[in-house]
Amino acid sequence: MTDSAIATNPTPVVAAAAVSPKLTVRDLHFYYNGFHALKGIDMDIPEKQVTAIIGPSGCGKSTLLRIFNRIYAIYPKLEAKGSIELDGENILDPGYSMNRLRSKVGMVFQKPVPFPMTIFENVAYGIRHHEKLSKADMENRVEQALRSSALWDEVKDKLKQNALGLSGGQQQRLCIARAIALKPEVLLLDEPTSALDPIATGRIEQLVEELKSQFTIVIVTHNMQQAARVSDLTAFMYLGEMIEFDQTEKIFTKPSKKQTEDYITGRFG
Amino acid sequence: MPVVDIAPSILEQRSRRDARHERLFRWLLKGCALIVLAALLGAAGATLWGGRDAFATFGWHFLVSSEWDPGNDVYGALVPVYGTIVTSLIALLIAVPISFGIALYLSEVAPAWLRTPVASAIELLAGIPSIIYGMWGLFIFAPFFADHIKPWLTSNLGNKPDDGKLSWVAQHVPFVGKLFGSDYPFGASILVAGIVLAIMVIPFISSVMREVFQTVPTRLKESAYALGSSTWEVSWDIVLPYTRSAVIGGIFLGLGRALGETMAVTFVLGNAMHLSASLLDPGTSIASTIANQFSEASGLQKSALMALAFLLFVVTFIVLLIARLMLRRLASKEGR
Repeated sequence: MTDSAIATNPTPVVAAAAVSPKLTVRDLHFYYNGFHALKGIDMDIPEKQVTAIIGPSGCGKSTLLRIFNRIYAIYPKLEAKGSIELDGENILDPGYSMNRLRSKVGMVFQKPVPFPMTIFENVAYGIRHHEKLSKADMENRVEQALRSSALWDEVKDKLKQNALGLSGGQQQRLCIARAIALKPEVLLLDEPTSALDPIATGRIEQLVEELKSQFTIVIVTHNMQQAARVSDLTAFMYLGEMIEFDQTEKIFTKPSKKQTEDYITGRFG
Repeated sequence: MPVVDIAPSILEQRSRRDARHERLFRWLLKGCALIVLAALLGAAGATLWGGRDAFATFGWHFLVSSEWDPGNDVYGALVPVYGTIVTSLIALLIAVPISFGIALYLSEVAPAWLRTPVASAIELLAGIPSIIYGMWGLFIFAPFFADHIKPWLTSNLGNKPDDGKLSWVAQHVPFVGKLFGSDYPFGASILVAGIVLAIMVIPFISSVMREVFQTVPTRLKESAYALGSSTWEVSWDIVLPYTRSAVIGGIFLGLGRALGETMAVTFVLGNAMHLSASLLDPGTSIASTIANQFSEASGLQKSALMALAFLLFVVTFIVLLIARLMLRRLASKEGR
């Protein structure tokens, strides 16, 4: 922990939720080839709610999200310090099994990225890594995942076709299906609609609303209206620091920090 | 208005000139492409024409006969065709997994500072003239093979062991005993030629693989990692299927080179016109038969060599055809 990080952030914004936290982030620092990208983040992400992270480009919001499932660890020279507890266990502890973490924390990326396989295989692929299922169980599981992601009716007759033939919005819902097929506890969405048209975006937002009864959802978004529409809590980040983290309603109506107000009213960012 | 009067004629001139240039340019491009086709047909036609005497004299027998007797003017292509195909297959069996490993290491695992030097080393390896591989094979590798590897192979796998006892493998596994039995004391053999060829084609196959592996989008790999895949699983399930057609293309590029390789193979193959099931016996290939005999050949023998050259064309063509069919079958399996 560096002193300057504390000095610039004298009142750590933790959380405003009464619900028990699913993810507890404490004094999280992140270094990117020596560049100090996250400077002492503290936040409590409540269970089965939608937490949005907003902020201008380069503020570290995606970086923060990518630490929650340690996807950053596939690259060299990236380093996270501090702690993130998932149900009380520190996931940054090298002893925390990557396989276990990724079965508990699913992720959906900016652009839809179906694997070069059939639609069915796209969903079954991840399940196979963690469980051995009979053919019938697997079919059930895939159907269930596709139903939860509101895709089943559109693809049930073409499960054996290549997933690349789907539209962008369908592909992104397939990616969500793929992630929730593992029955994770936390679902990370990294600007999931930035490559989609407004109608496809609307469907994804509706889906997020439906999924939050089952999963703890953290969504990074560039789109402030989206954050206002889908989230229960909103975190505003700027230059690697957590400026404000509160109920979404409060952030968008009477933010307590000047920077937050400037950002959401469009004065910068 | 004068401006309006002049403009159409200038415009017309200009558009006529453009059309002429466009036509000329298209013809030029078409000509460039046709040169390739003409060269291919010319070479195939010339060898077929040159080999007409051999084909006329021996007919289909030329393909299935293992006899090659310049004294009696009797020729059959079976031994060189067999040698060509078997040495190339051995080369691929060895080269493909190793190249896959090299390419994966360089594109997925190796630290950044190591990638460029190793990649350039591989490209340098591809540039070494084949005669050097041949000399290395003949003077260094073949004697080493004869002294250290071959005795082990014959006594453990073969059916003609040094100590007179049949190996366990030869007794229990069909064919393997025959593949590794040999009375011949030297190193030069089909297996050694296959190994030397493998070393020669590894740079080609691995550099193609490395380049296409790098084209796999990061986000695709990240998505697989995010589902809990290991590096191996990402490579095998995502990277390889994504690059499948280019990888097969690279393998067949290597196979094409192995099939036609002349000098290195001539040095280490033993040049025996003799059909043997054993990989440890010497053999010959189409290219090395031609290289060995062309200077003294005349009449029917020369025609037989031309016919061999035509067969090399046919073999290569069939290999390419198989590659195409494989790609099509894989594509339909993917659901495209």
